[in-house]
Formats: sequence, C-alpha cells, structure tokens
Amino acid sequence: MSAGVISRLDGPVTFLLPMRAVIALALLAGLVAGLLIVSLMAGSYPLGVREVLSTLAGAPPSDMAGTVVWQFRFPRALAALCAGALLALSGAVLQTVTRNPLADPSLVGVSQGAGLAVVAAIIAVPDLPTALRPLLAFAGALAVAGLIQGIAARRAGGATMRFILTGIGVAAFLGAATSALLTYGQLDRAMAALGWLAGSVHAAGWGDVAVLGLALALLAPALVAAARPMAALRLGPEMAAGLGLRVGRVRAWLITLAVALAAAAVAMVGPLGFVGLVAPHMASRLARCGIGLHLALSGAVGAGLVGLADLAGRSLFAPVQIPAGLFTAIVGVPILVWLILRRPAGGQP
Amino acid sequence: MTGPILPRRGPASRAAPLAGLAVLALAFVWHVSVGARPIPPGIVAEALLAFDADVLDHVVIVDLRLPRALCAVLVGAALSVAGALMQGVTRNPLAEPGLLGLLIGASFAVVLFVGVLGIAPPAMIPLVAALGATGAAAAVWGIAAAAPGGATPLTLILAGAAITAFLGALVTVATLLDERSFEELRVWLTGSLAGGRLDQALWALPWLVAGLAVALGAARQVTALAMGDETAIGLGMDVGRLKARLLFAVVALTASAVAIAGPMGFVGLVVPHAVRLFAGQDYRRVVPWSALAGAAYLLVVDIAARMVLAPVEISTGLVTALLGAPIFVWLVRARL
Repeated sequence: MSAGVISRLDGPVTFLLPMRAVIALALLAGLVAGLLIVSLMAGSYPLGVREVLSTLAGAPPSDMAGTVVWQFRFPRALAALCAGALLALSGAVLQTVTRNPLADPSLVGVSQGAGLAVVAAIIAVPDLPTALRPLLAFAGALAVAGLIQGIAARRAGGATMRFILTGIGVAAFLGAATSALLTYGQLDRAMAALGWLAGSVHAAGWGDVAVLGLALALLAPALVAAARPMAALRLGPEMAAGLGLRVGRVRAWLITLAVALAAAAVAMVGPLGFVGLVAPHMASRLARCGIGLHLALSGAVGAGLVGLADLAGRSLFAPVQIPAGLFTAIVGVPILVWLILRRPAGGQP
Repeated sequence: MTGPILPRRGPASRAAPLAGLAVLALAFVWHVSVGARPIPPGIVAEALLAFDADVLDHVVIVDLRLPRALCAVLVGAALSVAGALMQGVTRNPLAEPGLLGLLIGASFAVVLFVGVLGIAPPAMIPLVAALGATGAAAAVWGIAAAAPGGATPLTLILAGAAITAFLGALVTVATLLDERSFEELRVWLTGSLAGGRLDQALWALPWLVAGLAVALGAARQVTALAMGDETAIGLGMDVGRLKARLLFAVVALTASAVAIAGPMGFVGLVVPHAVRLFAGQDYRRVVPWSALAGAAYLLVVDIAARMVLAPVEISTGLVTALLGAPIFVWLVRARL
C-alpha cells in the first residue's frame, strides 16, 4: 500500500515499492508510446514505422512526410495525450477528495462550465488569443464547482448523492445555455465552437500542445505536493482530521486543483466526457497502490484512452472525423453502468 | 375507496377548471399573435372564428402560427401528464421522461429509422418512437433495479444520465456521418416546434389521445399506487396490470410528443410539481391539471423561445431545459 513512502527503520533506508503498479505503469508508458507512433502512421497519407521514426529524428524521407508528421499528426496526437492525462488526473483527484466513485468533471458540470465560458468568449470576442482560453475556462469551471458544492453541501447527510444529482442538473442547464449561445452567435463562429464542443482535437496545433504541456508542467508539482494530504483524505475526513489535516481548507484547495486540471484540457480540446470517470477506475483495477502511483497510472490510462479515441475517430469512418469525445462517451457509459451496479452509488441516501 | 383521499374543495374547485381553461386560451391567443409580424389579438380571434382567405394576417395565422400553437398544446400536455404518471408510479419526485432516458430513446429510434435506414412514413414515426422509448425505459429501469439498494431516485437518474450520454453520442455520430439527410433532423433533435409539423401531429394524435385517456381513467388508482404498492394491493388493485397500463400511457404520450417536436426535457418535471402546489396529491386532479398547465406552460415557453433573442429563435427544447434544470436542482435540495 505504501508507495513511495520511505520508512526509516533501524537499518538503512528501505523503500517499499509495489511491483505490480510499477510494472503496469511501465507497460502503459510503452503502450502510449506505441499508440503515438501508430497515430503518426495512420491517415490518408499512410507512413511506415521507419519513415515516421526517421522523420521524428529529423531526416524525413520526403517533404510531404515531414509536413504531415510535424504539422498535423504530431501536435494532434500530443494534444490528445496531454488532454487525456489532464482529465484523468482531474477525475482521480475529484474522486479522492469527494470520496465519490462517480465524480467526473463532465458528469457534474465542471467541464460544461468551462465550455460555456469559452463559447461565450469565442462568440463575444472572436479573435481572442487561444492562450487566454484556459484562464476563462478555469474561471467558469471554478464558479460551477463552487456553486455545486454550495448547493449540495449545505445540509448534513447524503451530501455525496446530492452532489452528483446537483451536478447533473447544473450540467443540463449549462449545456442548454451553451447551445442557446450557439444558435444566437453568428453561424461561422458558432461552427468553430460547435466542433470544439463535441470534444475534438482535430484542429490542434503546436500552440494547443504548448498550452496543454505548460498546464501539465505547472500542475504536476502541485499534484506531487497534494499527494500526502490526499492519501490522508482517502481514509475519510475524520481520520484525516485526526492526522492533523485541516480538512475543509485542504479539500477546497484540492477541488480547485482538479478544476484547474480539467479546465486546461477543456479549454483546448472541448469537454471530452467520461475520461475523468473511467481512467482512475481502470487504474485502480490495474494495480492497487498509493495515491502517487495511482495518479500516475490514471494519467497514463487517460492519455491512452483519448489517444485511442482520437485515432479511432479519425480512421474508422475516414474521411469523416468523429470527435474523440463521442468515442470516450461510448466507452465510458458501460463503465458508468458497471459502477452503478457494483456499489451503492455515491454513498447512502 | 369511496371517500375522497383529500377533502374536496368547496365551490372554488368548480370555478378553477374554467379559470384554467381561460388561462390556456389566453396563452394560445398570445402565442398566435406574437411573432415577426405582430398581429393584434382581435384579428387572431377573427381569423379563428371567421376565416377570410383574402386577408394576409388570417392566412399567416391559420397556415403558419396555428399549427405551431396546436403542437405546443399537444406536446406540453403529453409530456406533463407522462411526467406526473411517472412520478406517481415510481414514487420518485425526480422522474421525468427526459431524465429517465425515454426522450433520448425515442429520438434515437427515430434517427435510426429516418436518418440511417431511410424509412420515413409519418405514420410509422410515433410507433418507432414508442419502441425506442420502451427500450430506453426498460434499460434505465433494469440498471437501476439491479443496482444495490434498488431503484432509488439516485440510481434512476444516474442510469438515465448514462443511457442519455450513450445514445446521445450514437446520435451525434450518426448525424456526423451523413450530414445531408440529417439537415432537418438536427433542429428537431434539440426539441423544436419550428416546423409546425401538423401532418406529423395528426399521426401522433391517436396515440396521444389514447395515452391521455388511459391516464385519466387510471388517475384514481395512481393516487393509491403513489402511497405504496402494499396500499394499492390492500385496496384490491391488480398492481401488475395497472403498472402495465400506466407504462403504455407514459410511452404513448412520450412517443407522440417526440414525434411532433423532438425531445423536450424537464417539461414533465416542472409542470406536475407546480400543479401539486395548488391541486394537492390526488391524481384525479393532478392529471387533468397537468395536461392543462403543461399546454399553457409550453405555449409561454415557446413565446419566450421566439421573442427573447428575436429575430433569432432559440430551440424550444433549450428553453425548457434552461427553466427546468434549476427546478431540478431545487427539488434535489428540497426533497432528498
């Protein structure tokens, strides 16, 4: 259980490492790398493994191959992987903090809040720099998270259940508001927003990858710092308080962190559903381990999921592109149903 | 069962239905008179009572506005009664055709038949929608009942959300794959009265009337059922058959509403709860009042959908969601 915990015994420092989790993480990293290569190969201009590798090494076999890989496929694949990792981490943090297996940024409306903020901005100020989108998304998502917490947590008892139901209601409201904005906005602008709303990475360029990578790089240290309080929160709020944690404040910070993770992803690729729900559960199926490794595993699973969804979305029905968000929904719903069937969902009413 | 469950009101209860009908008529005339070309209510009444094909306003009213208003009345009444029945039978304040997946099931079936298979005789659409609604209802109920703790409000809503997300994604995939044949369906899929599909409404009408008739006929038993299966059995009711009849009513009403106007969420949630505030818990009053109030509600909502951002029109289904979702959240807070 104690991943990464250094226990000072009498002798030399010992380090307890759950082998299964580490192996799973290594395998996942390999799979994601393989997925990256495959998504660089696949498309209307197919490339072989060797061509892709030599292009990546800086010696493209043809100009065409260089353009296709560097301009189109590589940023798109990287954006998918980063967004998947961000959403999965957000879901993992939310599930740990709320102690609710169903917490997912898209199920409870956090993603939709980010989406509404960004769509409103796109329609009001069409030439808004894309780098500002994450901030807007963060503001929108944070407002929604605060609203849901405020509505759901005011009364004692059954708070987790109300949290989910409130989130579903808020998500429906925000979805309708966003659609109404789209009908109001001029059509060409609305179309740009519409493709983005389905959760799609098809227009991703290096700018998006830079923003996503920056978000990942900035928020990862915060996650590392949050690992210890999260490990305590996993034991329940009473136990965490007993361990000397200021539960209320820590929880607020962690929810803000989860919202920031989701907002960064949503701002760039739209509200991809169910990744934050599915990835942490798949991770804990792969290996039971401490919170640090669990987060890493979740991130890797999320990256793989979205990468796979994007690859499937652009190759299954080519030349039609199916947004990755639809595939993640189709994969995610059976897992949601399994979660509903498996346990008294979201605690006791 | 001879004594009334709730004390009957005095003379006021005789005047109330008339007042309700008057409100509905007012909403109807208001709905017909507003639009891109405002028409005074006097001319509306004139067009309805003494139609003259030479007057442009009369033609606009009868050919364009009247179908839309009639559709709003039918859809509003159907969805509200369906919602009221579902809340009574499942004893769940949050039950509603949209939240429990019936609307998306019906829409999915219609999309599958009209868009993908290319079969679109208007007579078939209510039937197809009914099949889809039944399938989705069965799936949602099955998931919720199999969950530990049984079909609680939470498991029902979660299962409904899951089915809605799943079928919604499939519908979007279908529309993306074949954009041309979905041109018309796309507006319909957000819940819209804009088409004024009176031909469609005519085919859906028998279903709607049958559903309403069953609902009104069974209203007395629903009151008993809402107090628990044991109570209903103790009162000598055949609960299994009653539930089957009510399921038929709910599915027929939902399917005809979807066939006319597409999925309109939250109507079946908002209206019955509002009705209970003044009509009490007796379904003999709740069902007819829901039909009346639902019709008036959707007329007013449709006016808002057309006027708020004029000349742009918002899909009516979006406005019902914008109004209904906060009420859902409030119900979650107040009742659970």
